[in-house]
Amino acid sequence: MGLSDQLDVPQPIKFVLNWGRKYSLWVFNFGLACCAIEFIATSMAEHDFMRLGVIPFAHGPRQADLMVVSGTLTDKMAPAVKRLYEQMPEPKYVISMGSCANCGGPYWDSYSVTKGVDQIIPVDVYVPGCPPRPEALLQGIITLQTKIQNESLKEKYQRETAGAPA
Amino acid sequence: MTPEEIAQRFVAQFGDGVETDLSYDMATVTVPRERYADAAEFAKVTRGLDLTFFDMMAGVDEAEAGFSVVMHLYSPIHNHHVLLRTTAPRENPTVPTCTGVFRGANWHERETWEMFGIVFDGHPNLVKLLLNDEFEGHPLRKEFQLASRVVKPWPGAKEPGEGGHE
Repeated sequence: MGLSDQLDVPQPIKFVLNWGRKYSLWVFNFGLACCAIEFIATSMAEHDFMRLGVIPFAHGPRQADLMVVSGTLTDKMAPAVKRLYEQMPEPKYVISMGSCANCGGPYWDSYSVTKGVDQIIPVDVYVPGCPPRPEALLQGIITLQTKIQNESLKEKYQRETAGAPA
Repeated sequence: MTPEEIAQRFVAQFGDGVETDLSYDMATVTVPRERYADAAEFAKVTRGLDLTFFDMMAGVDEAEAGFSVVMHLYSPIHNHHVLLRTTAPRENPTVPTCTGVFRGANWHERETWEMFGIVFDGHPNLVKLLLNDEFEGHPLRKEFQLASRVVKPWPGAKEPGEGGHE
């Protein structure tokens, strides 16, 4: 990533750096079910998450900063989610949108549904709902931006190298 | 052609082994399993029936009575339908493949095979379709154990009338 993940960046520079990062989140929509429709609604004129600096849509995972997993993740799909997450450049963030992506939701006893996307990739923000309204996703984005504003990249990568969840 | 006439055509062709049932303005024709592919062929090529559109195929777990395989055929020419059905015993659930008659049956038979363990004799590529390769068991069989349900049983009624509600 560069020096910022190895050095303690002085607070004013860190503030500006994080301020820039949090308002330039190229988003990668991993739409898997009906939550994806709410996600798309959030990106359209009425809710328009671009005013929060979330840019729809990255051309692929390699251009994305944020992955929104919106929908039901199955065991068959899980390796693809993991692979595309690994293709995203650091620093990267994941929003788990809806009950299915959070924990399996109504498919808690299913033979084919992964019980939460956090079983395969680290999740930064969970948005509850079935499906969540666009306002809920906007709230999740603001929560993520607050997290980005307050984080130190050095600490983030030290935690990740140590193997602890981010 | 009316459902009665359609059913009559199958009885005339395949004789006493055929059972017919009329419900919801549709004929359900049950043939012996050795004749299943023949019956599909007959439905497709017979002038007057012209059931050329293979809509779908599915399995049914009939508990002690074994398994059923049901296919829905439609005639775009005459706008009539038939449900073509056969049964297979639980200990040896083998049914001849219909891929030679309808190529579209290929994936439907693969799905029915992985979900119920019904073997389609003569199928060109009977491998898993929707489940991941490591999956063990046939999840739509009644005896299939859902791991989550072992830990926490289903909180409500499973069958109509069980929960004390009408």
